[in-house]
Amino acid sequence: MSHFESRIDELRRTFDGALAGVKDAQALEDLRNEFLSRKRGHLTLLFDELKSLPAEEKPSAGKLVNELKGYVQGKLDGFDKGALAAPASKKLKAQIKETSDAAGRLSVERPLEDLTLPGEKIAWGSPHPLMLFQEEIENVFLAMGFSIAEGPEIETDYYNFEALNFPPHHPARDSWDTLYLEDDLLLRTHTSPMQIRVMEKTKPPIRIIIPGKVYRREAIDPTHLPMFCQVEGLLVDEGVTLAHLKGTLEYFIRSLFGEKIETRFRPSFFPFTEPSAEFDIGCTICHGSDKACPVCEGTGWKELLGSGMVDPQVLKNVNIDPEKYSGWAFGLGIERTAMLRYQITDMRTFYENDLRFTRQFRLK
Amino acid sequence: MRISIDWLREYLDGDVSAQTAVEALERIGLMVEGREEKDGDTILEVETYSNRPDTLGHQGMARELAAALGLRLKERNWPLSELGVRTADLVDVQILDADLCPRYCGLVVKGVKVGPSPAWLQKRIQAMGLNPINNVVDITNYVLFSTSQPIHAFDLDKVAGARVIIRRAKKGEKLICLDGTDLGLTLEMLVIADEAKPIALAGVIGGQFSAVTEATKDIFIESACFNPVSIRLTRKAAGFQTDASYRFERGADIGFAPQAAQMAASLLSQFGGRSTREVVDIFPLPPKKKEIILRQRRVAELLGVAVEEALILKTLADLELAAEPQQPGVWRVKVPSWRVDLDREADLIEEVARYFGYDKIPSVIPPLQVVAPIVDKCRERIARVRPLLFHYGFDEVVNFSFSEPDRERLLATGLIPVEIRNPISARASLLRTSILGGLLETAAWNKNRGQDALQIFEAGNIYFRDEGGCQERLGLGLLSMGLREEPHWTRTELEKSRELDFFHLKGACEALFHELRYEPLSFEKTEHPCYEPGTSLAMVYREEPVGRLGRLASRLMEAFDLKPGVWAADIDLELLFGKQPKPFSYEAVAKYPSIVRDISLLVPRNVAYQDIRKALEKIPLPILEETRLISRYEGESIPKDKVSLTFRFSYRHPQRTLLTEEVDRTEQQVLAQLKRAFGAQLREGGKIDNRTGKN
Repeated sequence: MSHFESRIDELRRTFDGALAGVKDAQALEDLRNEFLSRKRGHLTLLFDELKSLPAEEKPSAGKLVNELKGYVQGKLDGFDKGALAAPASKKLKAQIKETSDAAGRLSVERPLEDLTLPGEKIAWGSPHPLMLFQEEIENVFLAMGFSIAEGPEIETDYYNFEALNFPPHHPARDSWDTLYLEDDLLLRTHTSPMQIRVMEKTKPPIRIIIPGKVYRREAIDPTHLPMFCQVEGLLVDEGVTLAHLKGTLEYFIRSLFGEKIETRFRPSFFPFTEPSAEFDIGCTICHGSDKACPVCEGTGWKELLGSGMVDPQVLKNVNIDPEKYSGWAFGLGIERTAMLRYQITDMRTFYENDLRFTRQFRLK
Repeated sequence: MRISIDWLREYLDGDVSAQTAVEALERIGLMVEGREEKDGDTILEVETYSNRPDTLGHQGMARELAAALGLRLKERNWPLSELGVRTADLVDVQILDADLCPRYCGLVVKGVKVGPSPAWLQKRIQAMGLNPINNVVDITNYVLFSTSQPIHAFDLDKVAGARVIIRRAKKGEKLICLDGTDLGLTLEMLVIADEAKPIALAGVIGGQFSAVTEATKDIFIESACFNPVSIRLTRKAAGFQTDASYRFERGADIGFAPQAAQMAASLLSQFGGRSTREVVDIFPLPPKKKEIILRQRRVAELLGVAVEEALILKTLADLELAAEPQQPGVWRVKVPSWRVDLDREADLIEEVARYFGYDKIPSVIPPLQVVAPIVDKCRERIARVRPLLFHYGFDEVVNFSFSEPDRERLLATGLIPVEIRNPISARASLLRTSILGGLLETAAWNKNRGQDALQIFEAGNIYFRDEGGCQERLGLGLLSMGLREEPHWTRTELEKSRELDFFHLKGACEALFHELRYEPLSFEKTEHPCYEPGTSLAMVYREEPVGRLGRLASRLMEAFDLKPGVWAADIDLELLFGKQPKPFSYEAVAKYPSIVRDISLLVPRNVAYQDIRKALEKIPLPILEETRLISRYEGESIPKDKVSLTFRFSYRHPQRTLLTEEVDRTEQQVLAQLKRAFGAQLREGGKIDNRTGKN
């Protein structure tokens, strides 16, 4: 039996079943509509569908549809109406009629009998959670007058390291384990090279956010990936201070994690900032109460982002006078931030693209 | 760095509990990552920074802690039991490559009884996570972990000619290292040699031949300073990382070399060792003493808080940074040799900030300021594309940029992939030249988890190599398969069985170009190994193909274990966004009613719809506002070589109500033109006025 034939068969059985269950005139009329409506009836649609069948199948299929139509019409016309329950109110009846609008187009209204039936569903696509987080972060800074710039993922040693005050062969480079393409060409290990590219082209004041993919030579495990997403921030102007950095980042972290989040601002080291600072947030899992907490390892704190005042040498490298201007910069990993916020335990989840995972975040 | 609280007490004048130490260290940025109780001692795992080699020993850590807690450091004395002879009388030390070895110190200790270390020393070594070996080796390690100055002990009898020569290795030279490695040396490597051969890889590892054994009587102690870059390159080439090389590549304290030798000799005297007089100290390249000007005003300018002069001076003094006043609020600061990280004023300001307390830095939002925005057209356009695709039902995915040779062969993009020189695995040895690989993988992942129908897209870079080198380009990939929507009671059976198909995907592509005003867009037949023959079209804007769409080739379905009937599109967004879209202009909303007419035409099958469309656009028909194909029919009632196309034409005049005759005239023009160009005929009864419903 062809697919088409089996469909006809199935429809006939559906009809028989429905007719057997008809209890009132309303239901009978509904059934008639379901099969014979000029616009949406099964038979009308079947006739439409005939057109798309291969030529050799059309005659036999057409015959089947005609037979079904005759069968349905005959059964409906011959139905013993006297046996039915009293009809529904007139008003309701009027609503299920085929109505025609001003242009003469026909439409069928669905019965308003059981209003508890589920509403129509329209399937929308969802943004990837990483993009949602990126946007959320961008929006905080856009409101503070920042612009957004993106830069190349394939970078030179100069932009990725040297201009950022990493001398060649310095052990500081060990923390930025690099994937190389050529001697001087690499996959950027952070979004910071864009600091240099922006400052080379733009005179202060500069307020910019740089989102993008970065790469590290790391084996894949639940907390490490060879590719992840970062957001970099850079502000350069006259009179910019470490206090401005702290104020901005505290505001930023509170907008992401809520007013109650605990923060800790502490000294650190990065070759391209001086003084350097790291921001920790209070552990969102145990709040410092669990000595064996797997997330904060009992410290009560989680490292969130690295930051600092732009190193005077970096400013000199882009011909900005460090005596006149100062600036701050920060960088944070988007996956890591999202993981802390939603207690996602495995970073790989972001790149599996399991739609059952990604679709949830639209609701956040 | 492992730090023993007990060991710190050797340096700190005053008792410090582990908890106090942890809190103080963390305040100044030395984070404690682990804590272990061992033999009545607390061992901390402290995170150190690559610019602070001085904190890689207990002495340096104690210095930081003393400054943080307001304690003093103990003076430690290292008395020697001296022989009558001078060191130089017993050993001849010579530096041949001063650029790689700016300082070399040594002492000879005679008559050491080599044997197990005493309990106190064993405890120290165990605190560092090492096993005690013998008193000599343990003492060298004790000095290293105390002072961060690596030292080495040679069996003097094994040093041929009692000559110690610091030179680059010669071609063909080899060294059997302490760990047994037979290392071929290269010309760039610095070695310690006797008159015949290398006896140690300088600053990295000693040689087995000259190592101290139980039979050793006389010891030559080396305490030197090596070029950090040379050490790093050598240890990388040799494939080692040792406690010594880890410190030398970060920069050892060049001022401390003689004391470290003396400290070791003093400790060895507890085992019968008697040392030579006068440390041999070859110091060909004494570094310039570092002096930095520090301005109090600048401290406030950078930190955003006025730090009192007294606190600045106290911090400097605690860190043994000698400050000489120049004028009010300005000092000339002398930097001790162990602080290799301090070079500029900003470095000193960080020290002030650390001891002032980062927690006391105020939080200030930078004042609002008008900053000219940096416009990024590409981002703006992507920002319009994504919601459109969500609306069409496409989920966004993000895949890794990596690829592998097999996949590249399969996708046959014709682009030369960029290779990663040091990939983490063979599966990620290349960068992708197409977005489709990741989309197929995502489709397979979801299909294997019960999701047979999906629509996905990814916007991201692809990478390739051309004459210009390595390139990256922004691309967009779309993929759809399976049922168009989940079954729902409001849908007819026919609707429930509708699959995602070519025209659904094409609609999304058309909408995308329309949304960005890249119009008119045309489609041309094309073939590509990713797509089944005869199922793909190129999207062409301004005569240039910017993408393609079609049904994915069956070999891809096999490779990813997908059912046939997967549709995909790939668009070169970088190329497209480089082109000028149609400018936006506003048109006043029409005040007068339109006349809508449907016309069914019989058209030869071999005529492409797009050609009819183009022909219609060419006829100057000012009142024809819109043309839309509303039905396509083929069947028994019409000839086999024809199809029936029903167009809906909307006519409108901007300034007045249209007359029926005008519409009739225009309609005649349309029919005549289509007849002439394609042999299109009006179907019987194929004209319907939509207002009246009349034929």
